[in-house]
Amino acid sequence: MSSQTTTISIAKENASAIRRRKILKVIQYVIAIVVTLIMIFPLYWMIVSSFKSQDEILATIPTLWPQEWHPENYSNVWSKANFAEYYLNTIIMTAGILVCQIVSGVFAAYGFSKGKFRGQNVLFLVVLGALMIPIQVTFIPLYLMCARWNLVNTFIGLMLPEMVSPYYIFMLRQTFMAVDDSYLEAARVDGMGRVGVITKILAPMCKSTILTTTLVTFTNGWNSYFWPKIVAGTGEKTVLTIGLANLKNTFAGQSTMNNHEIMAGAVMAILPVVILFFIFQKYMLTGYSKAAMK
Amino acid sequence: MSNSKTAAPPAGARKRRKSTSAWLDFLCVLPALAFLLVFIYYPIVDLVRISFTDWNLIKPQYNYVGFDNWIWLFTGSGTKYLLNSLKVTVLYTAGELAVTIIGGIIFALIFNRMTKFFGTMRAIVFVPKYVAMSSAAVIFLWIFNKNTGILNHFLGILGIAPVDWLGDRNIALLSVLMLTGWRAIGYGMMIYLSAMMGISKDYYEAASLDGANAFQRFKSITLPLLSPTTLFLFVTTFISAMKVFQSVDILTSGGPYRSTEVLVYLVYQYAMRDFRIDRAATIAIVFFILLLIFTAATMKVSNKNVHYDS
Repeated sequence: MSSQTTTISIAKENASAIRRRKILKVIQYVIAIVVTLIMIFPLYWMIVSSFKSQDEILATIPTLWPQEWHPENYSNVWSKANFAEYYLNTIIMTAGILVCQIVSGVFAAYGFSKGKFRGQNVLFLVVLGALMIPIQVTFIPLYLMCARWNLVNTFIGLMLPEMVSPYYIFMLRQTFMAVDDSYLEAARVDGMGRVGVITKILAPMCKSTILTTTLVTFTNGWNSYFWPKIVAGTGEKTVLTIGLANLKNTFAGQSTMNNHEIMAGAVMAILPVVILFFIFQKYMLTGYSKAAMK
Repeated sequence: MSNSKTAAPPAGARKRRKSTSAWLDFLCVLPALAFLLVFIYYPIVDLVRISFTDWNLIKPQYNYVGFDNWIWLFTGSGTKYLLNSLKVTVLYTAGELAVTIIGGIIFALIFNRMTKFFGTMRAIVFVPKYVAMSSAAVIFLWIFNKNTGILNHFLGILGIAPVDWLGDRNIALLSVLMLTGWRAIGYGMMIYLSAMMGISKDYYEAASLDGANAFQRFKSITLPLLSPTTLFLFVTTFISAMKVFQSVDILTSGGPYRSTEVLVYLVYQYAMRDFRIDRAATIAIVFFILLLIFTAATMKVSNKNVHYDS
């Protein structure tokens, strides 16, 4: 008798617990969807507005969907604001930074992980220490150097502070250290030199770290703003981020008049990185969480 | 014949080969080291030198003036600007920390469901991190516009009077933080979610058997076991928040009435707008010292107060 009632009451409790769990699930879905909509809204607004006409942009009651589609906003901003030039400058700058960081980083990481020379560990502290000195502190002397060597408004000037990345060296050194020495010994017995060991053995074995770190470098380079503003803020070596920020001033000084074109510019500026994000989603997340360590 | 080949070479040759090898290894790191010394370490030394001059970029020459700039900064007219931007930087940093850590945990709890639908929503919440700050800032610049911005339009529908998001000195910093938060919160969420997935289910089962409710389980299991993650986010966010520049530059240019003038922006304005690199250098050194102190302090804290799941 008593055991029967307990089973019934447990069953009842389970039923109410299940119902409560269901309600919680619904609440969670609702909150999650609302939050997602709020988070996506700025991006949605950017894309939708970039296709609107100027009249629609200036209308007192904003429209959530374009009445007419104006893809020519993109070509307008491309020609009016020199976006082609900004793109080219950004690509050259980012590519230059990538090549310099990879070459210098791979060799230095090899030297610090697999090489043997006196003072190795002390010298590695120099690399670690550099992680703590941001460009926001050193930009004045760096700018003076660039001015002295006529590097203001040049590609070399744009790339200069980023050519060697202590973060890149640090990350690669950690990975190279995990590679067993016997691989390198075997290669040396076969008469392979350092360059061969690095390019044919270490680099392929540490592909994923190199890819992640390089993706972070690429995104940081593509999105960089502070130093490009200092060394090439105005002039013919303007990069995308700076050109875009300047748009709010250049269209006849009216910040609100041409928002459809500014939005088109904003879309074009982020497209490469967002595409990369969707291709390399997994790598970029791990890369970012590691990059944040610096 | 084969014997002589396998036999060890004379000691002298071996030593020579070893030292050549060491030299070649050293050559691998030399370019990077030289670069770091010239372009990262030397500028710090140069910065100190500049802080003892009266260097104005407009003038062709400069003189050494001793501690003038330091006196100006700590007991002269520069003090109030330094204190103001310290205050703004601290407020901004606290805000970004709160959004990343508290917001990140809340978002992680909201989106903690391993279905495809939730995976898509997570990707959407995370994607702002990859939107370049310059693009994000021009979008928000328009959204925040007092007259034509969509935010005030939505508020108008709810019957709320238009807010001057970027022109009101009491609100401007909050607006900058909203942009920061939009980009940072999904990142905090992702970091917390991956940490939560690492927590063993056994803990929760044991706690449930002991009658702990969901909140108690969260408080006594999830939070303590997330403390290494929280510390990681705290340290990294702290240091990057102190260096904030871009959002302030595009949204408010440090205004209105210096209400968003963070430290880096103060340095930037003295250097690139007023061309007073002597004063800019002095403030930059103070900024650098603060960074070092906070980095050291957080490192020290990180060795205590953290629970690790064995």
